[in-house]
Amino acid sequence: MTESAPSIATTAVAPSRHNIGHAGALPIIAIFLAAIVVPFIGNDYWVLIATRAAIYWILVSGLNLVVGFAGQLAIGYVSLLTLGAYTASVLVAGNATPPMHPFAALLAAVAVGAVAGVIVGLPALRLRTFYFAMTTLGFATIVTQIALAWQDVTGGGIGLPGPTLPAPFDTTDGLYGLCLGIAGTCSWLTMNVGHSRYGRSLVAIRDADVAAEAVGIVKSRLLVLIFILSGATAALAGGLFASLQTYITPDAFTFELSVLFFISILIGGRGSILGPLIGTIVLTLLPEFAAPLAAWSTFLYAALLLAVVLAAPGGIAALLDTKSRKPLQAGRSIDPRPEELRTLLPARPEPTQLVLKDLALSFGGVRAVNGAGLTVTSGQIHGLIGPNGSGKTTTLNIISGYYAQDAGTITLAGQPLPPGESTGRCRLGIARTFQTPRIVGEATVLDNVMMGATIAAKSGFVAALLSLPSSRRDEEAARERGLVALSAVGLATSLAGVRCDRLQHSELRFLEIARALMSEPAFLLLDEPAAGLSAEEIDRLAGLVTAISQRGVGVLLVEHHTDLIFDICQYVTVLNLGEVLAAGTCQEIRAHKEVVSAYLGS
Amino acid sequence: MLASILMSGLAVGAIYALIGVTYNTMFMTSRVMSFTAGQLGMVGGVLGSLFALRLGLPVPLALLATLLCVALIGVVTEFVAVRPVLKSLDQHLYVLSTLALATMIQHTVAVTWSTEPRPFPAVFGFAIAGIDEKFWLPVVTCLVVIIGLEMLYRRTLAGHAFRAIAEDNFAARALGLPERNLRIASYALAGGIGALAGFSGGLLLLAFVANGPLLNFYGFVPVALGGLGNNRGAIVGGFALGLFQQAMNFLVGGIFSSVAVFGLFILVLLLAPQGLFGAPVARRV
Amino acid sequence: MKLNRREFTIGAAATAATLATPAIAQTEPLRIGWLAAMTGPSSAPAIGFNRGVLFATEAINAAGGVKGRKIEIITRDTQGDPTKAVNATQEMISSVKVHAIWGPTNSGESLAVTPIMARSKMPNLHPCVVDTLIDPAKFPNAFRISPSNTQWDDAVRGYALNILKVTKVAVIGDTTGYGVAAAKASSEGLKKDGAEVVYLANVDATQPDMTPDLLRARNAGAQAIVVWSTSTGMDARLFNTRATMGWDVSFVGHPSMSSGDIAKLLEKPDNWKKVYAVGYRSCSYDDAGKLPARSEELAGKLKGKVDLSDTLLWWVAAGVDAITLFSKAIGETGSTESAEIIKYLNGIKAYPGYFGEYTWTAVNHNGYPTADVVMSDASSAKDGAFRLAPGYKG
Repeated sequence: MTESAPSIATTAVAPSRHNIGHAGALPIIAIFLAAIVVPFIGNDYWVLIATRAAIYWILVSGLNLVVGFAGQLAIGYVSLLTLGAYTASVLVAGNATPPMHPFAALLAAVAVGAVAGVIVGLPALRLRTFYFAMTTLGFATIVTQIALAWQDVTGGGIGLPGPTLPAPFDTTDGLYGLCLGIAGTCSWLTMNVGHSRYGRSLVAIRDADVAAEAVGIVKSRLLVLIFILSGATAALAGGLFASLQTYITPDAFTFELSVLFFISILIGGRGSILGPLIGTIVLTLLPEFAAPLAAWSTFLYAALLLAVVLAAPGGIAALLDTKSRKPLQAGRSIDPRPEELRTLLPARPEPTQLVLKDLALSFGGVRAVNGAGLTVTSGQIHGLIGPNGSGKTTTLNIISGYYAQDAGTITLAGQPLPPGESTGRCRLGIARTFQTPRIVGEATVLDNVMMGATIAAKSGFVAALLSLPSSRRDEEAARERGLVALSAVGLATSLAGVRCDRLQHSELRFLEIARALMSEPAFLLLDEPAAGLSAEEIDRLAGLVTAISQRGVGVLLVEHHTDLIFDICQYVTVLNLGEVLAAGTCQEIRAHKEVVSAYLGS
Repeated sequence: MLASILMSGLAVGAIYALIGVTYNTMFMTSRVMSFTAGQLGMVGGVLGSLFALRLGLPVPLALLATLLCVALIGVVTEFVAVRPVLKSLDQHLYVLSTLALATMIQHTVAVTWSTEPRPFPAVFGFAIAGIDEKFWLPVVTCLVVIIGLEMLYRRTLAGHAFRAIAEDNFAARALGLPERNLRIASYALAGGIGALAGFSGGLLLLAFVANGPLLNFYGFVPVALGGLGNNRGAIVGGFALGLFQQAMNFLVGGIFSSVAVFGLFILVLLLAPQGLFGAPVARRV
Repeated sequence: MKLNRREFTIGAAATAATLATPAIAQTEPLRIGWLAAMTGPSSAPAIGFNRGVLFATEAINAAGGVKGRKIEIITRDTQGDPTKAVNATQEMISSVKVHAIWGPTNSGESLAVTPIMARSKMPNLHPCVVDTLIDPAKFPNAFRISPSNTQWDDAVRGYALNILKVTKVAVIGDTTGYGVAAAKASSEGLKKDGAEVVYLANVDATQPDMTPDLLRARNAGAQAIVVWSTSTGMDARLFNTRATMGWDVSFVGHPSMSSGDIAKLLEKPDNWKKVYAVGYRSCSYDDAGKLPARSEELAGKLKGKVDLSDTLLWWVAAGVDAITLFSKAIGETGSTESAEIIKYLNGIKAYPGYFGEYTWTAVNHNGYPTADVVMSDASSAKDGAFRLAPGYKG
């Protein structure tokens, strides 16, 4: 047998501030520096176009978190632009309240936008993609119709003047400077979110929502936060839009504009800040260069979108991401380093137990689990085997809280686990892997592993938004820990910055274990971790799992590779048709007549 | 007044219901909700006007030509916007590709045909029981399509194959059903149904490019209400929507009626995300 | 080639002449910006104006241009979108550096671009109807070439109350910005003049059945229906429904009701009877089928060159007048300075254009005489002109 290649020393290539496949802050800064030059080399017309691009970007930067990162297809976001524009204009004009100072009106618009963002976004928590997209279109229509109907306040069809900002922002260049500054700030804010655990969590909701729940990411809370942010930026963009236009009417807020915002993000590439920025600039500039094609401009946008979807779904960001095209080292092997586990899993003082009792769950008329029970003790490996359809994975899923059992209890250290609450399990000390690896393909290996540390973070959203030291500390700590976890399970740290979808299947399985260990679990649930592994890799897996249990973690191992089971488990429970067929030590199970006939064979 | 609301409500409701069926037919074999459904209806009306009035073909020939053309657009949808993205695990891609294609279709029609509504010819030219053709034709067409589909799904092999794919994709393929061809066929069928919606509704809605997004949305509401893939639910939902909309037009007037419809739609979806008659979504874990 | 003395002398003289004449006789073209909503909704007016613009430009250039300078029209298709209009306007002002702007044709766009043009003091002629667009104090550079909505409304109201002699009126507008505002203003005007508005409604232009609204109007006792909609589809539905109901009531209102599009949308040609749409004396033919003298002259010039059968004469005429006015302003003042052009326009009194007789002063920039706004028989289109509605004197 050939010697496996030694894994590279752990401290070597700690990747610096990269994230989900883009080139970092430098190009964005370069674009803004170039933008500052525009008033000096161009005339008022170019400043106008650049101001428009900046305003659109203010909206798109926030929407990017919703569409690009969280994957929520909010197509009708022009509704928030409309809302912001009218709020600011009405408040300055004094149609509904005493006239306000323009900056106060803009702030008020931001507040209104934040609330409206949540309202428009809420259906995303209940509805699937296409339906949510339709509701956002519905909102866009509703807002426009109300603007049209509420004549006394909004001027109805005639509209009303936009807010005139105080000097020096009342000139073309002045307004441009303001918008550019705000656009730059929004870029910085959304970059901070994107690079933080919130960015990771958003992408996790989008691409691996089941795994996201298992590591403690609460989708609703997270989405509400970014709806607030994106609603705020969109409404601010609306107020500035009204200033730029100097006069707003309902017909300025077209569906085509909504489509433009949306397409900018997708052409730019999801999970990126730079990509949508470039996309927004390109789509704002395009009609100005192709004046004869004015009538066809929306057609061209749509054709561009179709081309991107079919040929380059990763968008501009993927095209710019040359790093991800560099070939990976061939013949990689997985070399767990159990000694690293000491850092990951500090010793546990007293052993506890995870007890399942009389669990029952039916799907429709089918009894998937019928009175199952078992006990997992800290430091022990408990195997769960049985034929296909015997209820093994369902049992795991009940423990994980994806399903609420019809009957029976699960207790951890004497405390019952609330049924059906999947997002709370991580904090209670339960981590798991999945039958098919659930990872975020577009994110890097390290980012995926760092997902496991979500609950360990002490800083909140505002700290991430402003890149405060507390947030950066959490990031560093998670990063350090992630590298250790990678090394512990045997993945080379040179893989840390590689996109996950380039990894081999077996590497993904070990990656999931690394992710699970990040939260210092008391109990680790493994769902067929050996599936698809070579014999050599199964050996390594056995060693790793044993080492993990020796650190005091209780392991519940669902497997079909009975050799592995009998090799490392202390106890085995056999399920058949949702019921416990037999339970005991390996010797007892191996000799058990019914188990042999139903499952093992002679 | 009530008679007028009933007449026009059932007529537009029938058109919305047919578009809902169009959505469902495309969904059946591909699990894709296509943004092009409403555009198919719009193009049906536009082509009907083009063939019958602009080019002067006799109406039955114009209908046949329209059906063929729109069925072709349906097939193109499958080729361009659906099949390439089915391979990807990314759910969002088909929303984008069909949205892109729908936008392209709409703007091509807008630039080449016109942005103003154009007239549509009378198909039969007679009234039934005093009800003008523009009110009874959509309803009759809807009923004919429903009966036709029922017979297709229950009595023919192709229909059984469609239903098999819709229920369990993998099992159907394992049985050797030609999934790809069936999908193309169902998209062509969807095109035909959309064309019938637009053609039968031509007198009422006129050949108008703005019908595209209108039908997209109002044709989706029956699907949302009736449950995805549920044609009977779509029919009921369609008629209910038509009646509600006309009643609102009468009660609160043009502007607020659309606010009422959209508002109710969002509310119903939030309360019953699978639709009023829908089946619960499949297990995701 | 050797230059002989004769050629040299002529050449010298010519050079001297060139140097001696004022700056205007340079060969740089006169650039006139044209903000046209050529595609998108409500594109029919822009297409009509465009024919007039092109015709006038060709004619003037063929005759030598303005003091030797050719007119160059810079057209931008704004598609009815205020955002595109703002972009295009700024481009015309800063990049292309036009000398004057004709358009936009759409009130929503005009509301957005008027302040921008005012900032740059760009001379602007436009045919948009919204009243607030014209304000000589705020926008000294903007002049309206056509009636304002108030003037339209005065004509409609005048016809309904004074010629049709009704007292109970229904007002129906569409749900666009214009329709909502116009219906409201119209209704207020009617009430001020002592009429009773028995029904006021804004109807979605795509609503397939107009029966409920017309039924309610009839039940309320309406004796005439005032319509403010830009949608020909909605107009046609109203006419057809009236016929189905067997209701003998007149429609009075927006010029879209006389649009050629409507002909094919009608169930019976008779459904177009007793529909009176806003029109202009200059574009109305008498019982003998003759237009006023000047308009006959224009029609003669246009014959064979500009198709009038699918557009309105007044659009073409207004387009011609706009270009002619600008070229006269530049020609007679000898300057392309905006202040000079504006001063010239302010001094125009009873200028005999093809579309109307314009008068502008420093305090009034609505140039069209109210008396020339009349109602037309909507179904009587002939080469873009209409028969005067019955009941007018003279």
